[in-house]
Amino acid sequence: MAFLNWLESLSLSVWVHEGTSIWAQPTVMTLHTMGMGVLVGASWVLDLRLLGISRGIPLSSFRWVFRAVAISLAVNVVTGVLLFMARATLWGTAFPFLIKILLVVASAATLLPIRNYVLQSDPEHREVSSRAKMLALLSIATWAAAITAGRLLAYTVAG
Amino acid sequence: MPSITSFNLEHIHLLLNHVPTIGSVVALGLLLVAYIRRDEGLKLVGLEVLFAIALLTLPAYMTGVAAFQKLRDEPGVSATAIRLHQDVALYGFTWMEFAGFIGWVALWQARRHGRAARGLVATSTGLLIVAFIVMARAANLGGDIRHPELGGAVATMDSADFLASKISNVMVNSPWAWPASETVHFLGLSLTFGVLLAINLRILGVMRRVPFAEVHRLLPWGMLGFGLNLITGMLFFVGQPRQYIDSAPFYWKIVFLMVAGANFLYLTVFRKAWADTRGAWTANGTDKAMAFVSMFAWLAILYCGRMLPFIGHAF
Repeated sequence: MAFLNWLESLSLSVWVHEGTSIWAQPTVMTLHTMGMGVLVGASWVLDLRLLGISRGIPLSSFRWVFRAVAISLAVNVVTGVLLFMARATLWGTAFPFLIKILLVVASAATLLPIRNYVLQSDPEHREVSSRAKMLALLSIATWAAAITAGRLLAYTVAG
Repeated sequence: MPSITSFNLEHIHLLLNHVPTIGSVVALGLLLVAYIRRDEGLKLVGLEVLFAIALLTLPAYMTGVAAFQKLRDEPGVSATAIRLHQDVALYGFTWMEFAGFIGWVALWQARRHGRAARGLVATSTGLLIVAFIVMARAANLGGDIRHPELGGAVATMDSADFLASKISNVMVNSPWAWPASETVHFLGLSLTFGVLLAINLRILGVMRRVPFAEVHRLLPWGMLGFGLNLITGMLFFVGQPRQYIDSAPFYWKIVFLMVAGANFLYLTVFRKAWADTRGAWTANGTDKAMAFVSMFAWLAILYCGRMLPFIGHAF
């Protein structure tokens, strides 16, 4: 708790939380939402391909997804940390927030085996293993759950 | 510079309100002639017009709601007459959006498989006929607002009986309706973002060797996200119209939504990319400019939406 208090009292945290500038909380939040759209959207597109939509695209052509995911994940970690710092004592002690973070971590974790599978796939081979399909389903579900948990934080914790 | 909200919305409504009725007549006429002549190409033109009309029905409805808020307390204007007009227009809007949605699926199918399924074109035409009838009634009721001398009996209805009031009641008073709709809105935006990112990146040269038609296979998933967000977005708007009707970011959001909608149509109808089945097609400058416009429009829609509480005054 002392750490959370300290975090929240930093001038950066105070600026994000109380700053009247459009660049403070409004912009940080907006960037966090844009990052979410790209991160989850790009992941879902690859998941859909693994599940058989647009089969004509070779899996190896989906390398851009991992770059898009890396960039948007970086944006959301930075903006997420800023939003956490702004109200550290609130988020740091809220159980629903912990659930959201665990769901984000779980979703991102599904991308690692999916990435290995895609990078090692044979460009001529169009069938997808059932394990990869299960991972794709899991990825779709965990991202959806993470978004749900995140959106509901505005009502369960910060409301 | 005058703010976007300082336009005379009543006048914009008087301009736009003709689009759903006259537009439906045009689209229906094209479809009818296409049926008689058995002209598949003309059917597609009819569906394209229908999609454009369905898009423009959104600002037609919204400017009407804004005009209502300005007019309701004026002497000589019956708030009940406006509410009745607005409620019928909301039904008409709903039918029109379903017609436009099914019409778009038919267009996409025609692009993908060479021709649209008869059932889909027929369903879309049928929905358009219903939308037209309801919209014509809405237009008639709209005329009664300013021209009671034309013989329209001013309705006597309890304001709680209107569809808009019922929706608003649920959205405001239910503990879960608003949060659940917001959650769906965020899921929908992610889906649309991902699909359009993939398609626009292909146009810009990523996945160069993949045939455009294969990437385009994803577009209905983007349209699904767009549809979910239109539904949930309308629930917010009908639920709490006063949060939006004089909010500058909201107007910009609708402007960019029209751009994004036009881009959906463009992506469905443009031909040269479609001729490519071997991945040999490379986009020219205009196509690339369209891809940038599309991505910019979607980021702008999100920006305006997220900034509603900060630049506007929602919540």
